[in-house]
Amino acid sequence: MILEIIFCFFATFFYCLIMNSPKKVIVFSSINASLGYFIYLLCVKSGNIKLGFFLGTFIIAFIGELFARYFKMPATIFIFPAIIPIVPGLGLYQTILAFVQNDIPLALEYGTQSILNIGAMAIAMAWVSLLALKIRFIPKAYFF
Amino acid sequence: MEEDIIKLLKIIKLSAQTILESGGEIYRAEETIKYICKAFNMKEVDSIATPTGIYITVSSDGTNNQTVIKRIKKRNIDLEKLNNVINISRQLTSHKISLDSAISSLEELQSVKETKDKFSIFYVGISAAFFTLMFGGTIFEFFIALLSGLIVSLITKSFENLDSYNFFSSIVSGAIIALFAILSTYLSNQGNYSNIIVGGIMPHLPGLSMTNAIRDTIRGDLISGLARATEALLIAASLAAGTGLIISISYALNLLS
Repeated sequence: MILEIIFCFFATFFYCLIMNSPKKVIVFSSINASLGYFIYLLCVKSGNIKLGFFLGTFIIAFIGELFARYFKMPATIFIFPAIIPIVPGLGLYQTILAFVQNDIPLALEYGTQSILNIGAMAIAMAWVSLLALKIRFIPKAYFF
Repeated sequence: MEEDIIKLLKIIKLSAQTILESGGEIYRAEETIKYICKAFNMKEVDSIATPTGIYITVSSDGTNNQTVIKRIKKRNIDLEKLNNVINISRQLTSHKISLDSAISSLEELQSVKETKDKFSIFYVGISAAFFTLMFGGTIFEFFIALLSGLIVSLITKSFENLDSYNFFSSIVSGAIIALFAILSTYLSNQGNYSNIIVGGIMPHLPGLSMTNAIRDTIRGDLISGLARATEALLIAASLAAGTGLIISISYALNLLS
């Protein structure tokens, strides 16, 4: 599990480089991603997959907003590369595979699961966005 | 005064355009316009931004209106550019730089097509390779994912000027990744193609469209929320289509059991 988190760190690091994020904050985005993925893995290993998607994204979005205020940069820079490891790419792949193997019930099951998991991530992000709108940590800072 | 308004319009047009083209949220573009105009004592300002275009109307005395419309055709992701535009607009609102220097630095930013980083074609491959390891891949799968990511970024580079860049690049990337994964594991008779495909498609997932769709919807920008959600769905569906095509051909040729 520690190995997976280290791999997650490096994967996000190079993903940030693809998206050309500002060089001095790449490490922070990657740390954010590893933290979120750690929470996600904890929940998944204990059997709560939906909760894992929700809590992982929640932590990432929350820390991303904090970083955004600290560095005075848009929150997107910290949130969007960090949630990539959690986005259900595996679910998408399993859905395709089941469709190709002509196993429609299984494909629908995987597809519905993936959509619900993305929904859980969306709810978490929406919550944090709402919190960030309502609570201004630094009153002077505009548009975050 | 009249010239100042024309310069100001040019600045807000350029900054909003750059924000939307490099992956910023709608409210960020609209608020940037609002704050810059407020700093220069405009009486009325109104703007409607969508992912495909901006309409801005500015009035300095409340009677004469000046309007600009800008169509946005290309949308790619460049977080550094986004950050730079916001820095420029921040400096402008606190009157640290003049209108002319803001115009020149925004135009310079606009003309930069992509970063001069010579290693940029390797990043997709390395990222895909680490995602493969993250999903439990072996060293062999690591190198196959690295190679396929490299080929993907070399090939999709030639599509960059197309209008429907996202759609084509996703279909082609999905197909190339699946092709590499299945052929390499079939020929060398080792490794698991699933890990390579999952790791390979991770960097191409529409994370930004998804994030921005939610952030826009929460702020009440329903049109752009819908547009971005559609973009995200389209990209995911075309990735799936590209991958699924190759997998089903391999099943037909009995490459996979």
